[in-house]
Amino acid sequence: MKVIKQIILFSIMGLLMVSCATSGPKYSEMANSTPPISGANARVYIYRTSALGAAIQPNVVLDDRVVGKAVAKGFFYVDCAPGNHRIATSTEVERELTFSLDEGQTRYVRLDVSIGFFIGHVYPNLVEPEKAKSEIENCHYIGE
Amino acid sequence: MAKKIPFLILVPVFGLFFSCAFDVIRVKQEPARFEPDTSIQDAWKLAEDVEISLDTGYKRKLKAGTRWECIGKIEKGDVYRTKDQILTVEGSNIYEACIVVSEGQLVGFYLPANQTFSPLSSRKSLPIER
Repeated sequence: MKVIKQIILFSIMGLLMVSCATSGPKYSEMANSTPPISGANARVYIYRTSALGAAIQPNVVLDDRVVGKAVAKGFFYVDCAPGNHRIATSTEVERELTFSLDEGQTRYVRLDVSIGFFIGHVYPNLVEPEKAKSEIENCHYIGE
Repeated sequence: MAKKIPFLILVPVFGLFFSCAFDVIRVKQEPARFEPDTSIQDAWKLAEDVEISLDTGYKRKLKAGTRWECIGKIEKGDVYRTKDQILTVEGSNIYEACIVVSEGQLVGFYLPANQTFSPLSSRKSLPIER
């Protein structure tokens, strides 16, 4: 029984450490220094506000290319060509979002977490810019 | 011990069942050939909110005051897009969508990235304001 308690305690501590481990400047701190969208591209911000299931950090795949990880309280952005795109994440199931980008447009994709059978599911969701800007404010930059 | 065995078998069976069940909420889609047409130049505003119940169980609201512009057509009707709100259809996955209107009624959605039409099981009248 004591061993079980210790395992639970260490698991909780581990989750807390992972959830607190997101480093990098906050969105609000780097918003003014972020380079403008290059050329005829568009930009998509990808962020995760939820610390639920913080240890689960699946790859974020944009059009079959890994562009980052779904880190709790983290964000990154990707510049890409206008047109139709697909963002997907995989845990025990794959979840995808398809959307369109216009030239020069900036869009926001939030990575939400739902309960799964063995582990949580992370699914991308398109968010209105105004709402996204307030949600992403305290997220930390995890891009390269 | 004898009573525990069925339980031990049932757990993985239910596990498999539910993990498969996560993938069952599919958005109904059929291939659609989109013909862009900017010459139509039809646009209107919604006079009132329109609540839509998707077949997947999710609900969507087309907001009053949003401006919808015709961008082309598919076999099922004219395709309208708005820049005033995000519209997605949702099942297990999420797809950004345009609305498809035929004879003044919403008949379904065009999913540009998938190039498919997602029908509504019941048509919906649109309170259009020109």
